[in-house]
Amino acid sequence: MRPLTLRRLLLQCFALLVILFVVVVIAIKFGAVPVSLYALGRDLWNVLLHQRTNISSDYVLIIQNIRLPRILLGIMVGASLSVAGTSFQALLRNPLADPYVLGVSSGAGLGAILALIVEPHLTLSPVFAALLTPLGAFLGAAATVTVVYLLGRREGQIDSTTLLLGGVITASFISAIIMFLMSTLTGNLRGLSFWLMGDLSTPLQKSVYWFLGIGFLVASGAIYTTASDLNLLLAGEKEAMHLGVDVPRVRLVVYIAASLLTGLAVSVSGAVGYVGLIVPHVMRLIFGSDHRTLLPTAAIGGAIAVVFADTLARTVVAPNELAVGAVTAVVGAPLFIYLLRRRLA
Amino acid sequence: MSSLVKQLFQTVTLAAATLLLGTTPARAQSASLGSSTSPLYREVTDETGRSVRIPQPVRRIVSLAPSLTETIYALGLQDRLVGDTEFCDYPPDAQKKTKVGGAINPSLEQIAALHPDLVLVTKGLNRLETVHALDNLGVASYATDPHTVNDIIASSKRLADLFGVPEAGASVAAEMEHQLAALQQRLSSSPVKRALFVVWHQPLISVGKRTFIADALRYAGAVSIVEAEQDWPQVSLEEAARLQPDYLVFAASHSEASPPGLEALATLPGWNIMEAVTNRRYAVISDAVNRPAPRIVSAIEELARQLHPDAFVEKSEKLSEKSAKEKMEKEKTEKDKTEKTPPPPIQQSHSAFSLLSSGLRGSETVPGGRTCAR
Repeated sequence: MRPLTLRRLLLQCFALLVILFVVVVIAIKFGAVPVSLYALGRDLWNVLLHQRTNISSDYVLIIQNIRLPRILLGIMVGASLSVAGTSFQALLRNPLADPYVLGVSSGAGLGAILALIVEPHLTLSPVFAALLTPLGAFLGAAATVTVVYLLGRREGQIDSTTLLLGGVITASFISAIIMFLMSTLTGNLRGLSFWLMGDLSTPLQKSVYWFLGIGFLVASGAIYTTASDLNLLLAGEKEAMHLGVDVPRVRLVVYIAASLLTGLAVSVSGAVGYVGLIVPHVMRLIFGSDHRTLLPTAAIGGAIAVVFADTLARTVVAPNELAVGAVTAVVGAPLFIYLLRRRLA
Repeated sequence: MSSLVKQLFQTVTLAAATLLLGTTPARAQSASLGSSTSPLYREVTDETGRSVRIPQPVRRIVSLAPSLTETIYALGLQDRLVGDTEFCDYPPDAQKKTKVGGAINPSLEQIAALHPDLVLVTKGLNRLETVHALDNLGVASYATDPHTVNDIIASSKRLADLFGVPEAGASVAAEMEHQLAALQQRLSSSPVKRALFVVWHQPLISVGKRTFIADALRYAGAVSIVEAEQDWPQVSLEEAARLQPDYLVFAASHSEASPPGLEALATLPGWNIMEAVTNRRYAVISDAVNRPAPRIVSAIEELARQLHPDAFVEKSEKLSEKSAKEKMEKEKTEKDKTEKTPPPPIQQSHSAFSLLSSGLRGSETVPGGRTCAR
């Protein structure tokens, strides 16, 4: 492991931010409604000069009110899932761990649906009612992580095959419960099937973006404080403990924070799969496995991946839309198989 | 190549500015709509109980359901329809409108770019998320939620009222009511047939008792044997066999029972336990029955004819000339509609014959000659 310097970390992040920026530009430019570069430029110029009256209404409507919020959402969802995936991989010492594969996304989805079912029966202030879905998703994610972790433990050590199998089985069990709920309950749960596939198409209230952003910063900040411990954990839990790592504390912090990240992402976008698996892998290949570098680069990489995937989802069959989860799965699932085969070989 | 690089560079610079500034400007939504709206608003409660503020007059409409598109055409307001879904195929002219995607996942930006005064949705088809998204964008939306044929009539009237053409609504409603009343009279002595409406055949999906389709069956002198609370219940073959429907009812273009052929249905494992299948008692009607729009009356009549042929036999030789006469009158009425507000359609006192002509209406009175404004 090369020694980490702040300068190198900043340079790496900067390089990735430039890529993110280019992807965002592409995402702003392309969509179901064609926007010419000239019109975009003219509107931006007017925004720069604060000449409100000259701004075309199409700019305000389409770029500012639809595409930008969606891009912002994609950035936050991608970063959250990617950081969650990175930390699960470190903690479980399993490079194939990911919120989706481990069933944590499904658990979060079930939690969110239960919250939606319970919500009308509770008398809550609007602010708390809006937080009920993310809260349900977080609890669902946390509960699933606990179950899968316990399933994956054998003789005090985590067995990666058992863990993955446990995750897959848990995910399918939870999917069955969701199916059951959806086929027995009447009412407006139909939209959920779209949401479950991973969907960024719905613009949200402004407060939700703040909530997401702050949640992301707090949770990933908490994970980052354990970055050095996670590096040592790669050698094994016992070894890390001998090296002075407070393993139970690290485990608790990372589980809670990663569940929170998954819950937040799922509550706004459904299950966008494989981002938390593929992105950390790519970043590890490029930048090495030091978590002090890996966590921030994976966050930006996740944002790049989801914004790009969502741009494809918006444009490939325009004016129809694909679920972004379908796009990430089409790319992610074969890569997962490839990684699995390579690891077994 | 260099121009491409240059263009890319320009885009990047512009986007930098967008990112820095784009998110900060305060909500300029109402201003953004300023060009297409007048300061007048009307506060109404839609059929799902939401209170919505609708700019008046409503000049630009986007429809997110085939049934709503049909209703707009029936009201003669097609010139105000600026966008609809890919499933809006009736009348054929509706296919030429700007498409905003499907009903479940329309493109919000495509809708916004059309600057609609009002977006029409229906609870049975569209997603609540779409409505919320439109709310957040400051685009007014009105949701219908018909559960009976009467609801469809009332809904058409309310929409006409909303668009400032109450007379057109009254005339459409009167015509529907008239045809239905005539049909009721005609079927009064016919025994009610027990029907299984087949939405999908593998697995067997039917309609719940609180759907407008179940109600439409009632008007056609039938009763849906499925008593489910859910709108689109999956029915087990055992249950279907226990209930033994007199008839299986299919909608022509949407039911995928047609491609393998209705004949093949009897060869599907398990389906033979229904007597209606072994005896080939099938009724196939237009998919207008799937759409809560004025045209559903013609589908109801079509079904009634197949289920109760005896009620329609007498005087059949006179029908053709009478209906031709009716048709001419209908065309005259349609012509009037394009020029001024439509008068209530002239109806013959011979209800039986006006019914037949209404069957023809589906294809005859489509204002196909009139192209849309765009």
